[in-house]
Amino acid sequence: MASLELVNLSKTFGQVKVLHNLDLTVKEGEFLALVGPSGCGKSTLLRIIAGLDDASDGLVVMDGDDVSELSPRERNVAMVFQSYALYPHMTVEENIGFNLRISGLSKAEIASRVEEAAQTLDLTELLKRKPSQLSGGQRQRVAMGRALVRNPDAFLFDEPLSNLDAKLRVQMREEIKRLHKKVRTTSVYVTHDQIEAMTLADRIVIMKDGRIQQIGSPTELYREPNNAFVAGFIGSPAMNFLPGRLLFEGDDRFAVLTDGTRLAVTDERAGEIANNAAIQVGLRPEHLRVAAQGDGDHANRLAGTLDLIEPTGAQNHLKVSVCDQLLTVVDSQLVSLDIDQPVTLSIDPNQVYVFAAA
Amino acid sequence: MPNYSPPDKTDAKGVWIFGDGTPADYPVRKSSSKLISRKRRKALMPWLFISPYLILFGLFTAFPLGFSIFLSFQEWNPVSGLSGMKFVGFENYISAYDDPWLWKSLYNTVWLAVASGVPQHLIAIPIAYLLVMALKSGLRHIYTATMFIPFITSTIAVSLIFYSIYSTQSGILNQWLLLAADAPLIGWMFAWVHDVMPLRWLGSSSLIKPAIAFVVVWKYTGFNIVIYSAGFLTVSKELYDAAKVDGCNGWQQFWHVALPMIRPFVFFALTLTIIGNLQLFEEPYVLTAGNSGGVSQSGLTASYYLYLVGWEWLEMGAAAAISWMLFLFIAIVTSLHFYFNGRKGLEGNR
Repeated sequence: MASLELVNLSKTFGQVKVLHNLDLTVKEGEFLALVGPSGCGKSTLLRIIAGLDDASDGLVVMDGDDVSELSPRERNVAMVFQSYALYPHMTVEENIGFNLRISGLSKAEIASRVEEAAQTLDLTELLKRKPSQLSGGQRQRVAMGRALVRNPDAFLFDEPLSNLDAKLRVQMREEIKRLHKKVRTTSVYVTHDQIEAMTLADRIVIMKDGRIQQIGSPTELYREPNNAFVAGFIGSPAMNFLPGRLLFEGDDRFAVLTDGTRLAVTDERAGEIANNAAIQVGLRPEHLRVAAQGDGDHANRLAGTLDLIEPTGAQNHLKVSVCDQLLTVVDSQLVSLDIDQPVTLSIDPNQVYVFAAA
Repeated sequence: MPNYSPPDKTDAKGVWIFGDGTPADYPVRKSSSKLISRKRRKALMPWLFISPYLILFGLFTAFPLGFSIFLSFQEWNPVSGLSGMKFVGFENYISAYDDPWLWKSLYNTVWLAVASGVPQHLIAIPIAYLLVMALKSGLRHIYTATMFIPFITSTIAVSLIFYSIYSTQSGILNQWLLLAADAPLIGWMFAWVHDVMPLRWLGSSSLIKPAIAFVVVWKYTGFNIVIYSAGFLTVSKELYDAAKVDGCNGWQQFWHVALPMIRPFVFFALTLTIIGNLQLFEEPYVLTAGNSGGVSQSGLTASYYLYLVGWEWLEMGAAAAISWMLFLFIAIVTSLHFYFNGRKGLEGNR
């Protein structure tokens, strides 16, 4: 295991700068997720950590040593690829033991370590098969085995679950979490799926356009997002945003929507935003209540019209038209409502997020 | 009111009926075509589409094949017309079997197939790998196209150019060797040249086969480079990345990852080379100036011998027998190649 540090790291492809002076520390044994939309630079960052690509500027430091000039092998990192990248001409056993073979270990040592990794990942029965004879989930486990067998200083995962179906993804997510709990190897996990990041990681790094937006634990990012991008990215269904302006009335703060609706905002949420400044009002779908339910008795009320109901089983997702925009509301009570019916939504002032408009 | 719900089951005669036993009385729509039923039209249509090919195949492939089998049991000089045929049973096969020139030509053919076939692949594979790994697509296309030019150039033209290069007195090859022998820095490596000059590349029984083999290598290596480049391009970049993370250096990436991945391409290219090289004709024919395979028939290949028997000596029956023996020989060699390399070469585990 090793700690990992990125110091003032930048990457440029031709004229395009894809990573902008990143500083990041991953503690020994920590599970860190890099999350962001496609093209935000998270995979490039992972490849630089692995040594597959060189940074244009800055350092990659492992356990206090600058490893920027070292090859992937010399960095002793293992990587799990999105497409698994298993060698199709080798059996599962040969795939897992390949890096040990390249290292020149004895056949007996290789066999014993492959066996151990196979047992950990429940692959013993599949050792003689070729990758083409395996299911997606089994291939994924072989890719993990290949990484595990080396006892690397760090695991790097590049969207390893994105090729699996939804059910298998949940299952593999649990396996990865269980595995990390067992081996406690420093891990960096790239994904665009915020649920994956939230459930797996100790800390999450949110990236956009090659810049870090916020670093924090899943709960911190959910509760205290730094900006509208982070707020919109974390949480499912995504946060609703409405344009407005911030109004000071004595010691009270209000978010005034375009139709004049006033929502009380706490000082903490209002932060440094000035009086009368243009803002984005953020309302999480799970924090909004339909007032007719009886529990929507907060001071903050929004009038709207029910546009659509999306049943998901345990909850209904309501699409409510407010200020000419559709807000998503999670209705856990499964209230009986009619389309086009006027509804009143309410929300606790503590749950009203405001961000300075871009 | 008619019952529009779907019928539940069929009765003993296969008629659809409802639960209460009422037959489902569907109105039958008649086909607009009166001449030929839809089923028959459907059955005939595929044959109609492939009939042009079948006719051409029958006329120009199946019939000549059958005729050549028939001919191999006849003694026939085409000048005497079809009436000049005389049935001789297996005599053509027996004569060919006892013919020392046929065995010599087969030996030369195998020698040339190996000497010109193996280097083609040993050169083409690393060049293709370097082209794919080291060059950007545009530049790679230019290099590949340049190396492909010998393949699309007329074999006769290529052979004629090499005929002049190999010329004993005025050929550029001997001139270069003499220059190299007299050159200040590299002269010591070519010190032997003055002792062996003039080298008779096409006039010496020991040099004629290597000379022919070199022309074949020069002409067909580019073709194999194109095949192998296509093969290497199919190897996913992530596999190379995985190999790098696994600790492979450049050579190990080539040997353990790239080469096994292009196995089907190697199998395909080898198959083409075996079949092609066992039928070598134009290169030896031109380079030996059509002179029965040159000195001691050292450049006489099986196809060349076949040509001599059929068109120089006008023994069409014997030529047909030899052609079937050559076919059998190529089929055996190719079968051996399929037997030993086919399973791995064709396996679909990519």
